[in-house]
Amino acid sequence: MKRGPDPARVSEFAETGRKLQREREEVANAVDRLLRDTPRERWSELAKREELRSSGALDRLGLSVTQALGRDPRHALAIAELATSVAESLPSGAYPVLVIAQLRAHAYKDLGKAFLYLGRLPEALAAVDRADACIAEFGALEHDRAIVDVVRATMLHEANRYDEAFALLTRCKQIFRAYGDDKRLLMCGISEGVLLHRMRKYREAREAYLLLLATTSESGDREAVACLHNAIGHCSVELQDFAAAEANLSRAIELLHALGQPLQAAKAELGRGRMLVRKGEIQRGISHLQPIRADFLRHEMTEEAGLCGLEVVEALLLDGAAEKAEALARDITGEFTAAGLNTRAITALAYLREAIAARRASVSLVTTVREYIVSLRTSPEREFAIVG
Amino acid sequence: MTVLPNARVDDQLFEAVYTQYFDLLQQIAVFKFQVPDSDAEGLVHDVLISYLRKSHEIIDLRSWLIGAICFASRHYWRLNGRTSGVEAGELEADRVDPASLRILDSLPDQLAAREALECLAPRCREILHMRYFEGCTVAEVAARLGVKTKHAQKLISKCLRRAEKLYGQKGQGR
Repeated sequence: MKRGPDPARVSEFAETGRKLQREREEVANAVDRLLRDTPRERWSELAKREELRSSGALDRLGLSVTQALGRDPRHALAIAELATSVAESLPSGAYPVLVIAQLRAHAYKDLGKAFLYLGRLPEALAAVDRADACIAEFGALEHDRAIVDVVRATMLHEANRYDEAFALLTRCKQIFRAYGDDKRLLMCGISEGVLLHRMRKYREAREAYLLLLATTSESGDREAVACLHNAIGHCSVELQDFAAAEANLSRAIELLHALGQPLQAAKAELGRGRMLVRKGEIQRGISHLQPIRADFLRHEMTEEAGLCGLEVVEALLLDGAAEKAEALARDITGEFTAAGLNTRAITALAYLREAIAARRASVSLVTTVREYIVSLRTSPEREFAIVG
Repeated sequence: MTVLPNARVDDQLFEAVYTQYFDLLQQIAVFKFQVPDSDAEGLVHDVLISYLRKSHEIIDLRSWLIGAICFASRHYWRLNGRTSGVEAGELEADRVDPASLRILDSLPDQLAAREALECLAPRCREILHMRYFEGCTVAEVAARLGVKTKHAQKLISKCLRRAEKLYGQKGQGR
């Protein structure tokens, strides 16, 4: 076996490392300024700009895509398209081939995420296929492949291809574990729980979260522990295991307040309100939920306030107070309209209000509308459909 | 364990990283996966290059690089079509990781464990619930029970043994 590394390779490695690091530090402001000062319809021209043709600029564009996804997916798509153009136009000698492959793969992965948020699933899957193709020949890029596959699993989840999504997440977990990447390993575990929850397998979802909790508690990651207690609490509510729900939601609320995240704590409190309603303590549930809704409205979190309001609508229907339920549904519709939220959500809310007015609304219709509004976060183009 | 800070790293650190890990990674490729010397050096170089884009986010560099060289070596043999008994056995051994099994396959066992817990005495159930379901530390369990930490640890172990016994009975019943 040859002793010691080849000096030329060490030199290539160090020079590349320093170059990537320098770019990461220097280009952030330039990228933000270019995006801000250029109208979106002319962004495609930016791909030719020298200051964008670097790893640092691509990293920054990737971060901008992630930040824009929840706020404005079309904006995110425009940035992701610019990033893929930049990545494709990088000169071959700019970086080692392996780094260029990584840059292109991550640009296409982000493009896939943007398409997914817009509900354009076939294009989203094509983009992650392209990302995979960029790195297929490099055995050293297994970690990058797993990162792309986590995004692909989300797409398969949205396409209701649950078995394939599970299989991919299992493989990704193996890889992240082997690399010692605990953060992404936990993310995969949580994705599995979310998938089970989506399939309404609440018992299995809770077991998955409990498994994660046992390991995460030791790591000292209090944010993750709080998130897991919250998820376990919500599953327990669905399972009508109210003692476990109370214990876990309380723990989540306590931790979230300690972490300085009162609005996340309010979301856990919402679970507690739902629990009271499910227990048949309807008036207590309504009294618990109303201040939470007011809190969300005060923070201009219109969607969260609306979802909380729908919990109250459900409680009022259970209590036989259809007039109050209709009035509240009207308020929520008005708030969504004023905030300019997704028109599909507004249509679904209007349908619910009319159904309550006609005294043909059931609790399950409220649940359907609530779940539909939540699903619009990742599939904003999804149509509202009532089955049965 | 090597932790690289987010801030600008020392100018010589990249060279130091390469030199520090080169031999280890090459030995893994050559001795564990029987990659020929000449190709192993290229694989190690690829692995080290692949880390550069992520240098600011990797917490445990050693684990990360070892994971990377193992996957790179397997990929090498997939491309080169080797499936000798030793290699296949080696890969199979690497793959065995109960925590990575399909979650849907492992859940029945988890559910059996839950049923076993339900058969425990209330105090034991409470203790295990605090420790493993609520995520309390041993010290927190001790505080809530009003006992010393050492005693709490003993109680937890005792309850675990009881739960294990019940779990065995539940498993046989399936």
